[in-house]
Amino acid sequence: MKKLDRYGYVFIAPFWIIFLIFSIYPVALTFYYSFTNYSGSGTAEVVGLANYARLISDSYFVEAFFNTWKIWGINFALQIGLALVLALIFSDMRMKLKGLAFFRSIFYLPNLITISSVALLFGILLDWQHGSLNMILLNIGLISEPINWLNKPTTAQLSVSLILTWMWFGHSFIVVMAGVSGISKDYYEAALIDGANRWQTFTKITIPLLKPILLYIMITSLIGGLQLFDLPMLLTDGIGSPDGSLNTMVLYLYNQAFKFNNYGYASAVAYGLFVITLIFSAIVFKGMYGNERKQARKV
Amino acid sequence: MTLVLVAGVLSACSGDSKSSGSSKDKDVDLKVWSFTDELKKPITKFEEKNGVKVELTIVPIADYPTKLKPVLESGVGAPDVFTGEIAFLKQWVDAGYWENLSEDPYNVDEIKDKYVPYVFDLGKDKEGNVRALSWQTTPGGIFYRRSIAKEVLGTDDPTEVGNMMNSMDNVFKVAEKMKEKGYSMFPDEGAIRWFSQGNNPQPWVNDKNELQLTDEKIEYMESAKKLRENNYTALAAEWSPSWFEAMDKPIKMKENGKEKETQVFSYVLPTWGLHSVLKTNVKETAGDWAVTNGPSPYFWGGTWLGVYEKSENKELAYDFVKMMTQEDEFLTDWAKETGDVLSYLPVTNEIKGDFSDEFLGGQNNYQFFLEQAKEIEPGIVTKYDQQLDTFYGNAVQQYVDGKKSKEEAIKEFYKKAQNAYPDIKVPKN
Amino acid sequence: MLGKTAVEKNVSTQKIEKPKPELLPHESKLKTRNNIVKSIIYILLVLMAIICFIPFLMMLVNATRSNEAILSGFTLIPGSSLVENYTNMMEYVNIWSGFKNSLIISVLTTVLSGYFSALTAYGFAFYTFRGKNFLFVFMLVMMMVPGQLGLIGFYELSKNLGILDSFIPLIVPAIASPFVVFFLRQYIKTTLHPSLIEAARIDGASEFKIFHTVAIPIMMPAVATMSIFTFIGSWNNYIMPLVILFSPEKYTLPVLMGFLKGSQVAQNLGSMYLGIAISVVPIMIAFLFLSKYIVNSISAGSIKE
Repeated sequence: MKKLDRYGYVFIAPFWIIFLIFSIYPVALTFYYSFTNYSGSGTAEVVGLANYARLISDSYFVEAFFNTWKIWGINFALQIGLALVLALIFSDMRMKLKGLAFFRSIFYLPNLITISSVALLFGILLDWQHGSLNMILLNIGLISEPINWLNKPTTAQLSVSLILTWMWFGHSFIVVMAGVSGISKDYYEAALIDGANRWQTFTKITIPLLKPILLYIMITSLIGGLQLFDLPMLLTDGIGSPDGSLNTMVLYLYNQAFKFNNYGYASAVAYGLFVITLIFSAIVFKGMYGNERKQARKV
Repeated sequence: MTLVLVAGVLSACSGDSKSSGSSKDKDVDLKVWSFTDELKKPITKFEEKNGVKVELTIVPIADYPTKLKPVLESGVGAPDVFTGEIAFLKQWVDAGYWENLSEDPYNVDEIKDKYVPYVFDLGKDKEGNVRALSWQTTPGGIFYRRSIAKEVLGTDDPTEVGNMMNSMDNVFKVAEKMKEKGYSMFPDEGAIRWFSQGNNPQPWVNDKNELQLTDEKIEYMESAKKLRENNYTALAAEWSPSWFEAMDKPIKMKENGKEKETQVFSYVLPTWGLHSVLKTNVKETAGDWAVTNGPSPYFWGGTWLGVYEKSENKELAYDFVKMMTQEDEFLTDWAKETGDVLSYLPVTNEIKGDFSDEFLGGQNNYQFFLEQAKEIEPGIVTKYDQQLDTFYGNAVQQYVDGKKSKEEAIKEFYKKAQNAYPDIKVPKN
Repeated sequence: MLGKTAVEKNVSTQKIEKPKPELLPHESKLKTRNNIVKSIIYILLVLMAIICFIPFLMMLVNATRSNEAILSGFTLIPGSSLVENYTNMMEYVNIWSGFKNSLIISVLTTVLSGYFSALTAYGFAFYTFRGKNFLFVFMLVMMMVPGQLGLIGFYELSKNLGILDSFIPLIVPAIASPFVVFFLRQYIKTTLHPSLIEAARIDGASEFKIFHTVAIPIMMPAVATMSIFTFIGSWNNYIMPLVILFSPEKYTLPVLMGFLKGSQVAQNLGSMYLGIAISVVPIMIAFLFLSKYIVNSISAGSIKE
């Protein structure tokens, strides 16, 4: 190790000290609780692997798992697709589209509102008898009678996906543009001279050079998506109605901990989710980098 | 240099917050926490009377247990007096957060006869010690529209109408009459859930930790289904905008695919339903209402008050609790000002005759509710109620909507109950 | 002379075009098609902008309406209850104190997070030391544990450290922001070439000097981007301040807004919306301020190969 490399430790030290104190302690405590039957107060008795055994055969958890994927999957596809398309057209050298700053700001607005306000707002908008959404759709003739969005499982899940897209596509757009801004203009000019068309430029230059940022978006979106919680909880009754379709994994563990006082079991659910996230992140990582991984390590 | 700046600001801030925190503490003599602003006025009165400063913190009910629990457990920054709602009352009285008021120097058991039985009883812990008191009682009834009653039933007198609704079967007879004239008996099927205990009120979980689904409760499922099948309701879900709207004017609804307009005859609401729900949402129909009984008495909600077990100001804290729950003069004024139905009998016996509400066409609802309150059985509330009620409500809704058969819905109910409370014994059929 | 092609639609280009040679016929067809496509795109963008903006507008409008009006229906026409809502709101909460507290916390959080994350990301990206990859991956992995349950542990920790009811637990942990570090490291990989660092070292600069004078300016767009998110996250944070703080004068804006709920049944919707509107304005300002630092086109890039 070169002498200068020791500086690496210095640079990352402040982060790790604080991280150890404030993040790792709560996480370790939760891990401990997952082996007990702690109820949030009083004493905790160790019960070994009982919670985990229960988790494996818990049909509600399995249901929550699929719900989370369904809702997140649609949201992710739409959100990233939209962000990439927008980045594509705004960075297109030939189009020279104006108003990037303006649109970027407006698209980001939905992310500024607190989630509880969003839930409040959309709860009213989606009301099937009085909500504005149904009124608009009726007026333009798209539907012939009001849709009860939050009463049927499929539409409820779709609603959550769409609301999430609305909230986050501006955010993803900004992140992608930040990544794009780091790509040297020279590459694009060279491509232009070589006669590459838009699609080729995008797939052969932009995407590959965006890979690090795309990895970030995928992993953080995955983590965030698997931990989907606020919106499903606030939009309907907090336990996943209709028919448990909005029951996501974190909502499930939250209810176990704070509504039913099965804190120990909830901790096990949390770690079950953690393992799931780990597995899927590894898949994403491998998918993105594949055999490049060895080279990436050297950087 | 950025680092220095940042460090400077940080220390200034934390220094600030610490000093301002402690100086404020000296000014405040008593800390009260609640989930509504109901105690605002009583606190002002208390401050005036005793020349002290009281600080009220309101935490929205959704976050109330989440915020209070760690605080009450650790004792840091905890209040001296705090309220509890029926939803988690049973859990909290057993958790020891509130001071034992049956002991010296409080000895509240001596005054237990001054209270409506079920209210006093609910504030007790497993061993029968009183931990929290309440100044109010929240029994319920059925609020109905006088004009519609006159038209369809021939009378709008509360006693007569009440007799027509003294059993579920009779309620259905009235519902049929309402339908014939184009009215909806109730806004939604859930309205009758308060009568689901029927004549055999049992707790959800008995002493042996077994889940009890009584026949009466199962019958209620059928009743709800009947309401839906015969179109006796306006399909306006509780707390939805339509539900509010129907209190004041006719609303549109879809029946068998056809749109029609209907008016709702009655709402099943408790004492606070009058002030907080009906009165605030009604303009046109004010004065056209009255309240009477349903097939069985019930209560909905309620707020209890107690002294924090680890408080350092227990004396002053209890003074406040005392004023709020036992002081004749204060309570008399309070009841007269707010119309709150008290559970404190010495005062209610005096004033119950004095009430008449214009909104209810002059009826004395106070007396009515007090009579209902006396009939309520206390021993059936458990700490599982909040969740089990929700689960069962879901099951009923599924059956009513036709999404599940009765057996399936009940099976789902059992599954959910077991999942939430692994300790209770759920029938495995 | 300006190339004039027959284009009826569009052409709202504000830039003055440099003189171009006459376009050949097939090129002018291309330009027409280009402009039509452009117009469609603009229309779609505006539509999307409206969808994003309308809920905002509704919130602002609702801040001026009374509770009953809000419950009775939705409209984009402002009401007249602004003053009423304001007085009602002030009766319950001192919104300006909440404002001040939120501001202090959010600004400090953002600054600390931005600076230390850049430091850490730089450390991970440019030095090879034992355990580097392990630590980085470990950090990523820790991000995957759901945070909701950590709340109780965090509370216990703060209690044991004696920092409850202060701003410290709300600010200091920002020094360790895994998501930001992750992003910055990815960004550095794309933009900052080791040769630049080497050059500076040869020039005799110390490691820290290199970091401050070379790395930070290049990372600024990314740091600015993340700072926006950090600021907003901190500003809108509700659960943490709710659980950590007890003294009313320390409460932050979102916590105070919760108090506006009043009683469970009778609500103060108008005041609530007003509170929400007031709390949104500063983050919009912060956003506009920080977005200047985000380079928005592909004209960045400092490396000439």
